[in-house]
Amino acid sequence: MKWLMVLGIVVVAILMTLYEWPKINKEQKREKKAFVVLTAGSVILAVVLVYFPAMPGPTQLVDAIFKPLGKLLEQ
Amino acid sequence: MVDKGKISAMQLAFLLYLAITSTAVLIAPAITGGIAEQDMWLAPIWGSIAGFLTVFIAYRLNTIYPKQTIIQYSEKIIGRIPGKLIGLLFLFYYLHLNALSLREYGDFVVGNFLPETPMFVVLGTMVFVCAAAVRGGIEVMARTATIFIPLIFFLFLFIAIMLIPDLEPKHMLPIMENGIGPSLTGGFLASSWFMQFFLLSFFLPTLGKKQKGLKWGMLSVIATMLTFFLANLISLFIFGDITSTFNFPVMSAVRYISMADFLQHVEAIVMAIWVTGTFVKIAVFHYVLVIGTAQWFKLSDYRQLVFPLGFLLIIMAIWSAPNLQKVAHVLGTTWPFYDVLVHVLIPTLLLVAVWLRGKANGKNARKK
Repeated sequence: MKWLMVLGIVVVAILMTLYEWPKINKEQKREKKAFVVLTAGSVILAVVLVYFPAMPGPTQLVDAIFKPLGKLLEQ
Repeated sequence: MVDKGKISAMQLAFLLYLAITSTAVLIAPAITGGIAEQDMWLAPIWGSIAGFLTVFIAYRLNTIYPKQTIIQYSEKIIGRIPGKLIGLLFLFYYLHLNALSLREYGDFVVGNFLPETPMFVVLGTMVFVCAAAVRGGIEVMARTATIFIPLIFFLFLFIAIMLIPDLEPKHMLPIMENGIGPSLTGGFLASSWFMQFFLLSFFLPTLGKKQKGLKWGMLSVIATMLTFFLANLISLFIFGDITSTFNFPVMSAVRYISMADFLQHVEAIVMAIWVTGTFVKIAVFHYVLVIGTAQWFKLSDYRQLVFPLGFLLIIMAIWSAPNLQKVAHVLGTTWPFYDVLVHVLIPTLLLVAVWLRGKANGKNARKK
């Protein structure tokens, strides 16, 4: 079941690239780099999350940083 | 500017109003009601002070750097590397906030209407529509908001009128039983929505006429405050002290509507308001994220970033919240401080830095 989700993620990424890549001009090097970095990063994150769904996320990070202040509002 | 589109100040006010009230009306009564109890109707009024403040700060920064957003002028004000870090914090904040709103939407739709549908389908379809709107540019989004505004306004009014027979104003008493404190704390929680008006920083550069930006920004805050106030008042008059035990108090209230056994299941209207409102909200925040990222990387176009960031948004929405109770807890305790840091503290410090530098330059000029 998990490999199916990974396959789905990769298919979405390929579809996005097929749609966007021809639209970026050849001279726009930075644009291409930004696109590749963001797409690859998202795919890696998605695949990691498929295998470790309980990984602590950004909300826990914010919660941990502001915990001392948040206690003021807790009842 | 990355996006060449121009919108009017009124369209900007519509966009912000829809983007901010759509989630506020649905979950804020539960969050503010948990602390302010029968004084929760006061919370939006206190909270709106933060709204006026952030609109004013965003406007002042915009008058100094008229064609730039915070991602760009933070670099100019405090130097390249600290400016980039602040930009990154803003981008991360908007991605995270949008992911939470998207998740609220997903939980709402799956929980109330489509219990058998997998979450990622609900999220994915919404993000796809929003991404298409963002690709169209700011003008397309502004026109969409202009079309939705009368629809949403009349539906909301309709619901408020239909609920009049069920209202029990005595739930409001005793007013300020424990002093002004609980309502102020509730106001602080409510202010986390009003502080989102700092989004103006990203939209003021797209305005045709700058001077009207401040006036319409303030009007938008007032309209948000009134809507928020009405939503809290209705929830309070119907449920009293138990408001905070519901995930979506307004939704539960609307389920009560029944006119002569003829007009029932009006919650479909709430669904319609919520979906259109959330569409505008997610599109606005996604637009800000995409424009901000393009400016952060110093790109000449933003369109190719819309879908990759949309994909990242879905992943973040699934990752950032195990369930809605957790989101509501975070929004009710630690999140407002994060909002204050990003939307009030940092912009104020930037404004002070500009002011101090202006003074120092003035002194140097006089010495010469």
